[in-house]
Amino acid sequence: MNLRGGIALIKGTWASWMQYRAFFFVLAFGWMVPPLVSMLVWSAAAGADGIGGLSQAEFTAYYLILILVNQITYAQSNWTMGDVIREGGLNTWLLRPMPSIFNVLASECAGKVVYMAFVTPVAVLLALVLRPEITVSPDRLALALMSLCLAWALRFLWGYWLALLAFWTPRADALLALQDALVFLLSGVAAPVLLLPGGLQTAARLLPFRYMVGFPVEILFQNAGVGEILSGLLFQVFWLAAAAVLCRVLWKAGLRRYAAVGG
Amino acid sequence: MKWLRLIRTFIVVSARQETAYPINFWISLLHALLNLGTGVIGLGVIFSQVDTLQGWAFADTLALMGVFLIVSALRGLFIGPGMETVAGLGQEVMTGAFDFVLLRPVHTQFLITFRTWRLFSLVDLTLGVGVLVWAMQGSQIEAAALLLFAVALLAAVLAVYAVLLAMTALTFWSPGLMLGWVFDAIFQLARYPVSIYPPWLRFLLTWCVPVGVMTTIPAQAITGENVLWPVMGALGAALALTVGASWLFSRGLRRYSSASS
Repeated sequence: MNLRGGIALIKGTWASWMQYRAFFFVLAFGWMVPPLVSMLVWSAAAGADGIGGLSQAEFTAYYLILILVNQITYAQSNWTMGDVIREGGLNTWLLRPMPSIFNVLASECAGKVVYMAFVTPVAVLLALVLRPEITVSPDRLALALMSLCLAWALRFLWGYWLALLAFWTPRADALLALQDALVFLLSGVAAPVLLLPGGLQTAARLLPFRYMVGFPVEILFQNAGVGEILSGLLFQVFWLAAAAVLCRVLWKAGLRRYAAVGG
Repeated sequence: MKWLRLIRTFIVVSARQETAYPINFWISLLHALLNLGTGVIGLGVIFSQVDTLQGWAFADTLALMGVFLIVSALRGLFIGPGMETVAGLGQEVMTGAFDFVLLRPVHTQFLITFRTWRLFSLVDLTLGVGVLVWAMQGSQIEAAALLLFAVALLAAVLAVYAVLLAMTALTFWSPGLMLGWVFDAIFQLARYPVSIYPPWLRFLLTWCVPVGVMTTIPAQAITGENVLWPVMGALGAALALTVGASWLFSRGLRRYSSASS
């Protein structure tokens, strides 16, 4: 395996990204606003009594962590993959002596660093102003971190298979917009999943979207039971496997009919 | 009537350009429905847990959501597209293509305001009006409240215009600024009444980006609250902002020194 090439790619991509840091900071700001609005709304709704066992300070903690998790798992390279396929950028990738997914992963890693360089200080600042409260036991933290890795992989691969549909249709990006909307509603951004009304909550538990953002955050809170966490992790692994298979199948089938000029 | 005739021509030209890509209509429709769905369902989820949000009942907050959609649609119809062509990454001020705007024998600010239309936004407008009507069904709306609402909505659109114009003007000093996107992000806060936000944020949303003027006050007007003075204040503030932004824009124009082309 050519690890040196991979590292060089990450370095190069990162340098080219930092050139436009203002642009990426504005993007990151835009992504953190929806959970931020939810946080302010739920804090106002919770008032002094709290809602569903969560106090005002706990809502703040939930959403501040969610803002970080949302940024870590958001796979923005899925949005550019369609252009790479349509405009023939893929030609260059295919010529390199390594799997093309490394190019995408390189841009993911570079992006993560740039975005987190903006979001982390803002989240810390908000924490100082809004005074969140949360007590986390070490085992919960370990489980949450594990679930966070799975969440990132799931959100990335799920978006990746949607993006690969660009091999067949130029309008695959619309499905990514749909994914973003479902993530907003079902993944604990609009409201913590435990507070969703009946039908929506069932949908959230069964569909993959909750396991992309909200689930790792839920683990940190004591009102999530052990059985709930275990079944959630199983769901996460199941959907991750499904996404991986879909990516593999679509990539192979797509390459066979791929014929873009340019790049 | 030269101005109106020009605006008509701009609309016709934009419509021709847009209808060249008919499939974009369906994509726009999808985005509009997703925006509507996430907004209304998100609101429903909150009100499944509480009865009122700082004194705002579900119907009132839904009316506010309708106002938010209407104002965003009007912004997307012509204010936004016009400004985006001028300012932003790789746009006219950055590339120097703004030369051709300055050369036209029309008042520059008028030209950039009404030049580009995105008629697909009429779909968003329809959906916004639909939400507002849905929120207001069964409640009596007096003619006075409707008139007040119209004035408040005018003030709201004027305020959005002024803020975006000021942000566009600032790109003459620093072409890399993407304040339009920053405004988009901040404008998301207008989905809810400003009174629910903590005091420091409410202060910013009153004096820096007047989000309250843009949605909260029109929503209060249509739901029959007695907000005669706030509406008048909003209109005055919006007019002052517009004058200020126009001044800033003309100052910016003088700084423009083109770019190589």
